[in-house]
Amino acid sequence: MNYEKTKVWGILLRLYHWSLVLSIIALVVTGFYINTPWTNTTLEGSVSFPMATMRYWHFLAGYLFTAAILIRIFLLFFGNRQERIWDFLPITSRNIKSLTTTLGYYSYISDEHDNRPGHNVLAGMSYLLTIVAAVFQLIAGFYLLFPEAATWQGVGNAIFGSQQEARFVHHLLMWYFILFGFVHVYIVIWNEMKSPEGLISSMINGLKFKS
Amino acid sequence: MKDKAANISFSSGISRRSFLKSCTLAATALGLSEAMIPKLIEAAESAQRPTVIWLHFQECTGCTETLLRGSHPDIGRLILDIISLDYHETIMVPSGHQAEKSLHDSVAKNKGKFILVVEGAIPTADNGNYCKIAGRTAIDILEDIGPQAAAIIAIGTCASFGGIQAAHPNPTGAKGVQEIISGVPILNLPGCPPNPVTFLGTVLHFLTFKRLPNTDKLGRPLFAYGRRIHDHCERRAHFDEGRFAEEFGDFGHKNGYCLYKVGCKGPETFSNCPAARFNDVDVWPVSVGHGCIGCTEPNFWDSMTPFYERLPQVSIPGTGIVTDADSAGKKILGVAAAGAAIHAAVGIGKSVIKKG
Repeated sequence: MNYEKTKVWGILLRLYHWSLVLSIIALVVTGFYINTPWTNTTLEGSVSFPMATMRYWHFLAGYLFTAAILIRIFLLFFGNRQERIWDFLPITSRNIKSLTTTLGYYSYISDEHDNRPGHNVLAGMSYLLTIVAAVFQLIAGFYLLFPEAATWQGVGNAIFGSQQEARFVHHLLMWYFILFGFVHVYIVIWNEMKSPEGLISSMINGLKFKS
Repeated sequence: MKDKAANISFSSGISRRSFLKSCTLAATALGLSEAMIPKLIEAAESAQRPTVIWLHFQECTGCTETLLRGSHPDIGRLILDIISLDYHETIMVPSGHQAEKSLHDSVAKNKGKFILVVEGAIPTADNGNYCKIAGRTAIDILEDIGPQAAAIIAIGTCASFGGIQAAHPNPTGAKGVQEIISGVPILNLPGCPPNPVTFLGTVLHFLTFKRLPNTDKLGRPLFAYGRRIHDHCERRAHFDEGRFAEEFGDFGHKNGYCLYKVGCKGPETFSNCPAARFNDVDVWPVSVGHGCIGCTEPNFWDSMTPFYERLPQVSIPGTGIVTDADSAGKKILGVAAAGAAIHAAVGIGKSVIKKG
């Protein structure tokens, strides 16, 4: 076989990725329940606490989400070459070229593919935007979780305003993550079909292939 | 202390028993220990009643109305025995030039020592022309009298954060006191109206400790605004156990279930309503079957509406579309799915053409 394996993603990045996937799914489902509880009961004394349970899982998933985002921010500066922020910030001529090549490739204008091991710059920028959104999302989340703690109150008031305004932003940002998840999965599958580098499996074993 | 308390003249015709009850209630509201009650009583019956000047700006007089309905203490005891209310447009006897004179005399005499209570927002647009008293604009009066006070109590949501006048698009540029005055301690007692117990507690705290009570980040005293309504709500068990009123008048509503799904804003509102309740009849909105509307929070008129839904509406820029967040989200997701489908179809089409 004349293909070449390259190690691209470290174990921490892969753990981050799947923790984020798991936590986002859990957070969206439980978050929808908390906002609009779709069950209702007239049973009293049934020892069932659907809202309390959903909130419990939401908070647990929130901590997983926070841990994942903190790991990714750490890797942006201390990860391997592909994981660092400098690899995909459009500030070098190599990266600006990657941005235009990728835009042309994705819109079927050209067949030229940026065959780098790490993120192409378009993907990298959308991940960076997602991390920024995630930071705001988790600050809003902790502000809502600890409304009486002076520190979170100060931070939350300064960034979002009242609890209700933070709740609103938290809800809108959830829709960003749903939208991102959809577009991300579509583009990853599309890439997997277009180029034989093993994009999806690289997030499991950390390896990409070069022909 | 005992002798002094025994000799106090009850000019408002209230028994000593009810006076002590008022002080005890205020101590409870403040979260003070039992040992502090005698100190509080001593402060309340001392001969040195603090001068209070009460200014009305853009308001509905609802905060004054609620104070008139207070019973611990009633308004008579409050203004005759506990504070010296030198200027209050609604309940003072003088009018016109006499009223103005008593205001200016009192400010001059008690400079740096009086408590200023402000009720109502202050319009700042167009030189503050939207509210004038005795030929002067509200902002002019506040900037003159405010810095001469020992402390300012902003009573009600309007004086605290602007209130309904400051709702979008805020045509008069209405603002709360804290956005205009600095350098004087300012306490916010938001609410529409705030509980009279909160006002009494604040005044007694000031009398007893010679300073304003500790506040949260929005300048609201922690004894009254330290906890969320949701966390002290009598319907909280129904929330945790998933029993909700789906609409007003349904089975859940009649059975006193949680009002979350009909838009109760208790989870995002800080106030002592469930504990202190109102006007001696032991009620508050949630106890009579209506959700909290979040009136103690900044921008509540913009952020808490629609009152019967959980979240504010989203207006999509440039389209004039106003909808709720979830239906907007679903539409945007639909557009994204359609975009992906078209993208995939173009890719398939291209490869078919290439092969052909």
